[in-house]
Amino acid sequence: MARRSPRVAAVATLAAAAGLATGPAAAHVGTLEGATAESPIPTWFVVLVAGVVVGASFLFTSLMADHAALRWVNGLGLRAGLSRRLRDGLASVLGAASVLGLAAVVAVGLFGPPAANDNAASLFVWVAWWGGFTITTYAVGNAWPLVDPFRRLAGLVPGDGRRAYPEDLGAWPAVVGVLALVFLEVVSSATERPRVLAVLVVGYAALAVGGAAIFGAGSWFANADPLAALFRTYGSLAPLQRTEDGLAVRLPGAALTDGDVFRRPGMVAFVLALLWATTFDGFVSTPAWTAAVTPLAELGVPAVLLYVLALAGGFAGFYLTYRLATRRARDSAGTYVTAAAIARWLAPSLVPIAAGYHLAHFLGFVVALAPTLFAALQAPIAGPAGLGYTVLGLPDWFGFLKLGFVLGGHLLAIWVAHSIAFDLFPGARQPIRSQYPLIAVMIAYTLVSAWVVVSPTVPTPYT
Amino acid sequence: MTDQTTPPTATGPRPDAETRVPDGERPAATCDYCGRPFVDEHLHWLHVGEHHGDALGPDERAAHEDALEAERDLLFFYQLKVAVALGLIYSTTALSMMFILG
Repeated sequence: MARRSPRVAAVATLAAAAGLATGPAAAHVGTLEGATAESPIPTWFVVLVAGVVVGASFLFTSLMADHAALRWVNGLGLRAGLSRRLRDGLASVLGAASVLGLAAVVAVGLFGPPAANDNAASLFVWVAWWGGFTITTYAVGNAWPLVDPFRRLAGLVPGDGRRAYPEDLGAWPAVVGVLALVFLEVVSSATERPRVLAVLVVGYAALAVGGAAIFGAGSWFANADPLAALFRTYGSLAPLQRTEDGLAVRLPGAALTDGDVFRRPGMVAFVLALLWATTFDGFVSTPAWTAAVTPLAELGVPAVLLYVLALAGGFAGFYLTYRLATRRARDSAGTYVTAAAIARWLAPSLVPIAAGYHLAHFLGFVVALAPTLFAALQAPIAGPAGLGYTVLGLPDWFGFLKLGFVLGGHLLAIWVAHSIAFDLFPGARQPIRSQYPLIAVMIAYTLVSAWVVVSPTVPTPYT
Repeated sequence: MTDQTTPPTATGPRPDAETRVPDGERPAATCDYCGRPFVDEHLHWLHVGEHHGDALGPDERAAHEDALEAERDLLFFYQLKVAVALGLIYSTTALSMMFILG
């Protein structure tokens, strides 16, 4: 994303020039690679230890083999009713505000300053929304249905659509959609050019309205809309959950253990797309990616094709590895439960991994660029040029914090998988044995994502 | 307006997962209550008690108790191995850390 795009590099240079951050800190604004590169511990060892911690945590969790206690912990929480009038009132006010906000983003994108780091619309979309809002959906609760402007616009389409949504298609359009969004974010100039962003926003709105016109807004947003699926999936990890008649506060991840929560076809693929999309976003700014792409691009292979292949190939790799692991789980557990059912039941445990990686990837970006956003918001059309920039330099220990988020996500994932396995299989040893292949996959994910997180960040080549 | 959530009970209903028995294979046991097939009797009796505990007759309850007892013993040995593995992992990691940091 924009984090390693030329525009943020420009912001970093600017900050350094303005004397707002010291040399190395300014470099970290764009790159955020943090302390691990300079620490006396070699990078490969840090990555390896992250993998060992995940494996050891699984063993440690396997000592907690009391099913009733697991359920009790995951059932802890508070519930509160919410009056329908209050809810509807809130929804209409926020809905109207969100449509105005969308119009403002498009207007400022089209008519505001042409450089992304001056443009309030660009900064709002990438820093406040794609980074910050997404963090709130898994850290607090999914408020997207309340503030989704696309849903409001699609709601204006009369009727329930012309045809029924094909049930078998399920979340598959959202899988393609979320991969396409990440592709556009990484490869297109949407992060550098506010005009392009505005056009993309309008295009997305047109797609949502079109989808609602054909299949009805309800079906479209429950299945195919990639942003709705993205925030709903992240929201299933959050402590704040919607219930039939109000809200519940639960432990993070507890709602993921309610049993077969991703029943819609394609949801397993969607969770893996989410996981891969977040990894890909960081992967393309590692030196390894640059080293792999440069010779091929010099041979004349179109760079866009390389990005498409990496995105699609990586997703296919993640998906097939997971499906293979769940097939193996059938053998390691000794059960007649189908591999597809195991894949579906355990898929929620991957959500904390994606969220932990997202947090590692975006928190520093949001914190560092928040002051720039506020400066830009003060003069959305004229641009903040006269006001000056503030880009926060991040301390060196931030690199360890990022690694901590990645690890934390995996540890929560182990807890969630453990709790689900105890619901899915009887006794204690079968649930534990069923997790072996999945844990092997999780350790592999940890190694990959920890390696991406501790790798120095370089500008994404050929974009 | 707020109240404490009722903790779910260990025997509370949960959605069940689909099963498939490979062609030419006969499951060692099948649940009388929900039809779920099992690869051995032990797992079957564990399941019956966990999922249909309220409906069991005395014989079934005794069979479940036996399975539970056996499971506890096996789990104890399993957890002993886990404890040893954890100790080994910890000491290996700590030693290599010391080695690397010189």
